[in-house]
Amino acid sequence: MSTAPSIEHDTSHGQHADEHYRGGIMYWLTTTNHKDIGTMYMTFALIMFFIGGAMILAVRAELFQPGLQLMQPEFFNQLIGVHALVMIFAALMPAATGFANWQIPLMIGAPDMALPRINNWGFWLLPPAAILLTLPFILALFGIGDGAVNTGWTLYAPLSVQGGMGVDFAIFSIHILGISSILGSINIIVTIFNLRAPGMTMMKLPLFAWGWLITAFLLIATIPVLAGAVTMLLTDRHFGTSFFNAAGGGDPILFQHLFWFFGHPEVYILLLPIWGLIPHVVSTFSRKPIYGYKAQVYSFIAIGLLSVVVWAHHFFTAGLPVAALLYFMYSTMLISLPLAVLFFCWIATMWRGAMSFETPMLFAQGFIVLFGLAGLTGLVLADVAADAQYHHSYFVVAHFHYALFAGGIMGVMTGVYYWLPKWTGHMFSETLGKWHFWLTVISFNLTFMPQFFLGLAGMPRRIPDYALQFVEFNAISTVGAFILGFSQLIFAYNIWKCVKGGKKATAKVWEGTDGLEWDLSSPPPHHSWEVQPVIK
Amino acid sequence: MKILRRFRLWVGVFFTGLLAVVIPSLARADYSWNFPTPVTPIARDTLEIHNHFMIVITVLFVVVFGIMIYSMFKHRKSTGHQPATFTGPTGTIQWVWALVPFAILLFIDYVLMGIPAYHAVIDMEDTRTKADMVLKVTGMQWKWQYEYPDSGIKYLSTMSTPRDQIANKETKGEHYLLEVDNEVVLPVGKKVRVLLTSTDVIHTWWVPQFGVKRDAIPGFLRETWVKIEQPGIYRGQCAELCGKDHGFMPVVVRAVPEAEYLAWVDEKKTQLAAAAAGADKSWSRDELMAAGKDVYEKQCAVCHQPEGQGLAPVFPALAGSKIVTGPLLSPEGKLLKDSHVDRVLNGKEGTAMQAFKTTLTDSELAAVITFERNSFGNNKGDLIQPAQIKSLR
Amino acid sequence: MIATQEVAEMDLSTGFTAEELRRRRVASRRLAWLLGGVAVAIYVLGFIVYRS
Repeated sequence: MSTAPSIEHDTSHGQHADEHYRGGIMYWLTTTNHKDIGTMYMTFALIMFFIGGAMILAVRAELFQPGLQLMQPEFFNQLIGVHALVMIFAALMPAATGFANWQIPLMIGAPDMALPRINNWGFWLLPPAAILLTLPFILALFGIGDGAVNTGWTLYAPLSVQGGMGVDFAIFSIHILGISSILGSINIIVTIFNLRAPGMTMMKLPLFAWGWLITAFLLIATIPVLAGAVTMLLTDRHFGTSFFNAAGGGDPILFQHLFWFFGHPEVYILLLPIWGLIPHVVSTFSRKPIYGYKAQVYSFIAIGLLSVVVWAHHFFTAGLPVAALLYFMYSTMLISLPLAVLFFCWIATMWRGAMSFETPMLFAQGFIVLFGLAGLTGLVLADVAADAQYHHSYFVVAHFHYALFAGGIMGVMTGVYYWLPKWTGHMFSETLGKWHFWLTVISFNLTFMPQFFLGLAGMPRRIPDYALQFVEFNAISTVGAFILGFSQLIFAYNIWKCVKGGKKATAKVWEGTDGLEWDLSSPPPHHSWEVQPVIK
Repeated sequence: MKILRRFRLWVGVFFTGLLAVVIPSLARADYSWNFPTPVTPIARDTLEIHNHFMIVITVLFVVVFGIMIYSMFKHRKSTGHQPATFTGPTGTIQWVWALVPFAILLFIDYVLMGIPAYHAVIDMEDTRTKADMVLKVTGMQWKWQYEYPDSGIKYLSTMSTPRDQIANKETKGEHYLLEVDNEVVLPVGKKVRVLLTSTDVIHTWWVPQFGVKRDAIPGFLRETWVKIEQPGIYRGQCAELCGKDHGFMPVVVRAVPEAEYLAWVDEKKTQLAAAAAGADKSWSRDELMAAGKDVYEKQCAVCHQPEGQGLAPVFPALAGSKIVTGPLLSPEGKLLKDSHVDRVLNGKEGTAMQAFKTTLTDSELAAVITFERNSFGNNKGDLIQPAQIKSLR
Repeated sequence: MIATQEVAEMDLSTGFTAEELRRRRVASRRLAWLLGGVAVAIYVLGFIVYRS
């Protein structure tokens, strides 16, 4: 234990190598251990996932029947916007960062993250930000202010200039969340660059770490742009500037450009860590090495680069010049190539393997099929002419839920089921895991498949009430959403049981595992790699 | 385990029951699985492109995941399949196999989809060539204003679905939420250039059967075009979140043969002239109150509520409001800053309160101001004449 | 074999030495400041650059 100094022991924060888990709030507030911080990220993400989910169940309940039953449009508008912000910034992104914290040091043979105290900061900025985002709901109960941000998560000016103080809360919340993401990204980049075990060249880096590396660079490039945009919004609201006000020489569309310059890469920020972990899972349960490692790495890089030059396809109906329409259409189509490479490699990894279908593999395959549907509908959305019909409609809502629920959330679940035995040292209940998978997949499709047809039939998004031709599909969608929501309790219960106890997990956990993290015990020792493994 | 098995049975029963209920209701012949019937050249193009896409992506989906599912059945451990160890293509044949899908994809992207898309975009954006007339659409919270610059017609179009239907106190009508008081009337077979703008936030004008959707942006002019091929009534709605009543600002277009359209233009002109003439006569208090109630219910009640109680904290109450019960005009008959009349005429910057002088006539303004000062327990007893409003503009 | 890491053997002497670790830590800090600087620069630039 004392032969190799671990990176977190160097300075004055008072922890010693042998002084491990003590419990209590002060321990968690000050911990710099990557596994503790990873656990906090994952727990936070899970809690926020249920909060964001509860919000959207209220929305779906309102949409079960035409007419206004449960809430007024003002409150409806708050729920949809905060649902999106919570799910993206407080559930999906922290979950991905949680994976990074737990797994990257284990997978690259590092003793810990390179900057442990920044790591601690990155996490502890999140709870205040989440509180800021949702506090206006509670303040409104006491008659203070007019509730949370009511502009949808896109915060389009001038609607957001007109909005109440919920918008200010959201702006500050986004700033804090952004700082947290940038701190996390910096840490991940420097850890990957500087703390790889001897012999692990960049082209031997696990794909999960590669996916996160690209994500981290994207975050550093785009979060400041979002922060700039919302700062301009803030000054427009309170200090009389006119960035987005035509009367003062500004342009409302400028906000959309800035927002989506961040917003489009954001999609890949959420998905790249998932694309990184899927090959590991597929390879493990196919008992066959990853197919096309290099091709996948280059695809990640290509997607990262392309993602910052296609943003305007999110507002084709805003009246862009023809040349811009054509450019953004053709460049968006180009993304289908590297994405197809990934699909090809995932399926080729399974091909002629010896597959078994434990819960993580089920989720991975469910992910591949449903995310495939998101990719294919995305291809269609790229077409400017057809997009005029799809845009702002439920077709888009269905599309991005296939991308972000089936792609994002189900990807996170894949990773959780895959690594949970490694983290806790116990096996989870395979029966409950399978129940969770099948209920999730069936009810997910029940929820979102009808929304494609709603969009085609002409139902706009973000409306609290709808015309009578949309009744049946909305009713089905609501039933699906409730099953989907309540099925997630199985997930939480299964995790809880697994943390508390269960069959002991071996170091290897799964038969076909391959990678450094499986050489450590389950759970891994408090200081991950006291001694670096050497990669040949 | 036994409980679990029973639970599994119930879940099975539930989903079967759900399907039994759902499928017949979806099988109804009028149910829509695709775009509504197109009535413009653009909508026809769009539908055709969309249908092609759906075939292409369905084929891709079936082929790709067919291969995956085949592999899932064939290459499983439980049947004793021995795993291979390859990690990439080896040999020319495998390289060809690996590259062909991408060549196909490139072909789909840039030839199969890309070329028709190019022509459709060029066509869609060509608003000027051979345009027969112009329609100017102005979005505002939460109604549309339509203007025919050629004939000087200009009017507002608001949703006419009664609030009681929305609150489930009345049975919902056939065109629930998709009906307006004054629909847009357009001639069939004419290319109409549609100019769009907004007075407050971004709105989006969308009629699905036209295949046209374009944002209305405050301070900027956007354009698109329609050429309706069949007479009929076409319904759509605002598609960009624009605040509280975003879901309640429908677009209704009545397309008629040209002769009928010209007759409508004449009739509308006479109507508007009569309304303008009303501004010069002196109105009685009862006339103003009756007309004001009408205007109030259409334009103001959405935010300030039917009884003037407002909707705290965003939309202030008019009942007992300091502004409403303040002085009407200065002693010299001039506009007082931040007075009731000023608010109604010029709106309030940065809020949803808009400048109604751009959308309402003199008589409507006079009527609604008089109504607000003498209703909901407000008892000012004064009134303002349309002629006075005219002089304040 | 690409993409898989095989641990040659757990040779206890091959871990990072204290010296090596210190060097890597300094490099990490330097890179972190650089990346943070880039982020701040992008943020600030947005307010300075104007559309012509």
